[in-house]
Amino acid sequence: MGGKTDKKLIENGKRWDGRGIKDMRPLKIEAGVLKQANGSALVEWGRNKVLASVYGPREVFPRHMMDPTKGIIKFRYSMAPFSNIDEHSRSGPNRRAQEISKVSRHVFENVVFLEQFPKTMINISCEVLQSDGGTRVAAIIAASVALVDAGIPCKDLVSGVSVGRVNGQLVLDVDKYEDNFGESDIPIVISTRTGEVLLFQADGMLTKEELETAFEWAYEGAAKVREIQEAALRKRYSEAPARD
Amino acid sequence: MNERNIVLPGEQVYDGPRHMEGCYVENGKTYAGVLSLKMEDRIIPLKGRYLPKPGDVVVGVVSDERFNGYVVEINSPYPGQLSTRDTREEFKTGEVLLIRVAMVDEVHEAVLVEPRKLQGGEVLEIESVKVPRVIGKNGSMLQLLQEETGCEIFVGKNGRVYLSGGNTPLATLAILKIAREAHTTGLTERIQAFLAEGKGRAG
Repeated sequence: MGGKTDKKLIENGKRWDGRGIKDMRPLKIEAGVLKQANGSALVEWGRNKVLASVYGPREVFPRHMMDPTKGIIKFRYSMAPFSNIDEHSRSGPNRRAQEISKVSRHVFENVVFLEQFPKTMINISCEVLQSDGGTRVAAIIAASVALVDAGIPCKDLVSGVSVGRVNGQLVLDVDKYEDNFGESDIPIVISTRTGEVLLFQADGMLTKEELETAFEWAYEGAAKVREIQEAALRKRYSEAPARD
Repeated sequence: MNERNIVLPGEQVYDGPRHMEGCYVENGKTYAGVLSLKMEDRIIPLKGRYLPKPGDVVVGVVSDERFNGYVVEINSPYPGQLSTRDTREEFKTGEVLLIRVAMVDEVHEAVLVEPRKLQGGEVLEIESVKVPRVIGKNGSMLQLLQEETGCEIFVGKNGRVYLSGGNTPLATLAILKIAREAHTTGLTERIQAFLAEGKGRAG
């Protein structure tokens, strides 16, 4: 955001990559891609590629973090060194990765039945293999599928999408160019069953009316994302895998 | 298995409050909490870690010796305790036991009794929710496995299987096949064919 470009990002109702204003990038999800993990998922969203794994519930390490009344979640968001990371400084546990890990952890603390697993921890780890804007939402939807794949009791699947403003026009599912040269980027994650908002970060300026529209679009987008998440899980469990 | 039979977290499974495994109640309605199979009025979770229940017979590994007993690892997030008061035998860490869960406290920690040392065999780990399929109706699948392979097999509720004697490699492959295809129909026939074929190859 805040960069300058001569290229028109929206022309005749088409975005620079040919999408319409409310079109999302093609989303593909596969569940159970890692055999060692209790649960896993691979999300390919446009040029984003995120691999999520879930281990647990298991013994807490380090022990002082143990909570005798409920389980804890450890969420690790990380960008691979080869993930086109140049825009976000270097790979590894930097400020940005820590922030995303923290807000994502709070998303799952609201949906997982942690009180069923006192004195344990659940490790969720998301590795961004390739990034093209909107990776935190991609990581969260991947983690949600991986959690369900691991058989961890949750209230709901979580789904989301980002909404942004580019050339004064609201758009759904912002990519890297639109994020860099647009005016606003708002990732929204919701529980589609109840409509509860679990993540809402606003970068840039929007009017109140625009924000209301943004939420409306995010709900529509999240419903589509959820369909794909559900299809991925059903596919994984409806056919017998050839080999483990 | 039919795709429509699979329920996902957040999906309503019953129009009214009901306590079922892997489900939760909200505003008087019952929703699935884990990925499960819906069969008529039953909900069968397809995945999840083992939580000990009183009466379960499990296969555990002694992980620590204490002055008052042993800590036994039972393939669960929570370890079990075997008190020296409940056994006259002595164990070493690493030994495998067939053991019964007598009691479970509010943080899922199990009190274990009646240990029986298992020696000279192999231990296999599968998903604990798939154990009923390995045992079969009234133990039919287990009986089939034992008869066809000549193995002595103990199936712990925690998903650990102990095998000794007989054609262990074939029994291992068969059990892994059952675990992989646990949610499909016509499994017994396929396992029967698999065992017959495996025996033919060995002979």
